[in-house]
Amino acid sequence: MDESRKTDISPDEIESVLEVLDPDSNRPRDIIQTDGLNLRFGETSILSGVNMNFPRGTITALIGPTGSGKSTFLRTLNRMNDKVRGFRHEGDVKLEGRSIWGADQDLLDIRRRVGMLFQRPNPFPMSIKDNVVAGVKAHGIAKGKQLDVVAETRLREVGLWDAVKDRLNDSPYRLSGGQQQLLCLARALAVGPEVLLLDEPTSALDPLSTESVETLMRTLTPALTLIVVTHNLGQARRVSDNTMFFYEGRLVEHGPTKSLFDQPREADTARYVNGLMG
Amino acid sequence: MASENDNAMSRSRSSMTFARRGTPPRRANARRRHREDQLWRVSARVASFLPFAGLIFVIVVLALKAWPAAQVNGPSFLTSSSWLPGNTYGAVVHTHGVAHPAGSAYGAWPLIAGTLETSGIALIIALPISIGTAFALTERLPRSIAQPISFFVEILAGIPSVIIGLWGVLQLGPFLAAHVYPLVANHVPNVPVLRYFRGPTGYGEGLLTSGLILGLMIVPIIASTTRDLFQQVPALPKEGAEALGFTDAEVARQVTIPWVRSGIIGATVLGLGRALGETIAVAMVSGSILGHVSSNIYGTMTTIAATIVSQLDSAATDGTGFAISTLAEAGLLLTVISVIVNLAARSIVRRSSAMSAPVGRS
Repeated sequence: MDESRKTDISPDEIESVLEVLDPDSNRPRDIIQTDGLNLRFGETSILSGVNMNFPRGTITALIGPTGSGKSTFLRTLNRMNDKVRGFRHEGDVKLEGRSIWGADQDLLDIRRRVGMLFQRPNPFPMSIKDNVVAGVKAHGIAKGKQLDVVAETRLREVGLWDAVKDRLNDSPYRLSGGQQQLLCLARALAVGPEVLLLDEPTSALDPLSTESVETLMRTLTPALTLIVVTHNLGQARRVSDNTMFFYEGRLVEHGPTKSLFDQPREADTARYVNGLMG
Repeated sequence: MASENDNAMSRSRSSMTFARRGTPPRRANARRRHREDQLWRVSARVASFLPFAGLIFVIVVLALKAWPAAQVNGPSFLTSSSWLPGNTYGAVVHTHGVAHPAGSAYGAWPLIAGTLETSGIALIIALPISIGTAFALTERLPRSIAQPISFFVEILAGIPSVIIGLWGVLQLGPFLAAHVYPLVANHVPNVPVLRYFRGPTGYGEGLLTSGLILGLMIVPIIASTTRDLFQQVPALPKEGAEALGFTDAEVARQVTIPWVRSGIIGATVLGLGRALGETIAVAMVSGSILGHVSSNIYGTMTTIAATIVSQLDSAATDGTGFAISTLAEAGLLLTVISVIVNLAARSIVRRSSAMSAPVGRS
């Protein structure tokens, strides 16, 4: 594929495209902002001092060695860490300018707006069709016959429709791993999120499935904003507009993917992207 | 380390013995291991056959014992409500060549109804309590509280039924009859189904008390199994549901419970089997009234199991052996009911497991 397709577009161009596409172009340009974010489990500091803006409609890759805090950071953005014992946060995360921990925010609505795809496919124990519309039903977005339409639309969107249209009422566990992950993506898209968090979404998939997920990620922008944790540096280069490099509980460096990989400013970044540090 | 050394020493010692006899030691060792293996396989086969043989033996003996009574009582045994031993000191009459006291007439319908009703009540009460308990223990409560509660749930399973029956007849029954049953009976509207909860509430021995006692007895069985099942549900699908904006209740209803549904059904059948067959506790709190089906949920009654134990002594006074034979027929009936319940549960499991994930899969 054309690897430079993304990086050739300047942020200004993206913005001008967005203004045309987005009826709410007067909304904040950055859909998520973190403000002096410190994360701790009990006394152990996981991540400190993260100030970061995520422009609407972009793909941001989070890279760094295991234990660098990038997954914890990702799971903070939809408040998945809130119920982990000992989790503490200082600073703030803003979704469209409003704190995600604000008293006026509803946790269920935050999670509808900020969807998530996990390391391994995790279909629910219900039929393929019910999996796609599970969130839609829970949030009361559609019901009855509309659900069939939602299911077909979303399954087509992820390219799974032809493979499963004759067995919508079958168990999802007989699908291949890649198909199951696409089903989970369809499920996440069905509730109409604005942001999608991806936690190493292809680490359990074969190369072909990985490619189809990556292709999909590119087609989902600029309608959605994607934030993806990945250990696959090639994937970060292929799909992302911006990259954040985490190391030992700090956000060491962030910037446009191409420049971060080609001209890293920090020595640690250089060592990591060149494979000298795992 | 030490045991390895011991083995090495014993091996060298035996090899010396064999060397003296002129047998290659390795081949002797292999032969010994094959002999052991054969013994193991034969004993495993015998052991696996024993439960089956036991079941067949019990059913055959019951059927042989019940056969004379079944001939005389006929199919109306299932529908009739009379329980008359007849005149055990009077004339002996013969029906279909079977001797029985004049005037004896047996019908098991009240016993069948009582058995199904008490077990049904027990299940309706125990299932939600058990699933709720299992949930609290695995997902809601901190470990420091969950562990002692788990322990008490298991202790409850170990309390002999005669103790629970005693508590039921001395404490729970009278308390409910004095303070709770009248409250319900006087306020329930006079409409179909709910009408069953109206009327005289008695003194605490009867259908509802028996059902409650049985429910209490099967909670630990269902709760501890369900708790173990919930612990096996992987975190990933539950997290997926949370991340999609499900409430905790929705995660439980749509992911956790369906994930282990067939296991929960299995645990429920285990509990139901206990409830159907529970004898002494029910004999103590049911009122042991033969020959009629209670008209409301508080009324005195009895079950098949309770009747067998409470009538065994007097049945032995029937010189023709007909009363004993009738109890055997009742016992056979209970066995059949238990088997039917088991088969029904199996078919439910087979149908519902089409969608559920195998336990342990993520």
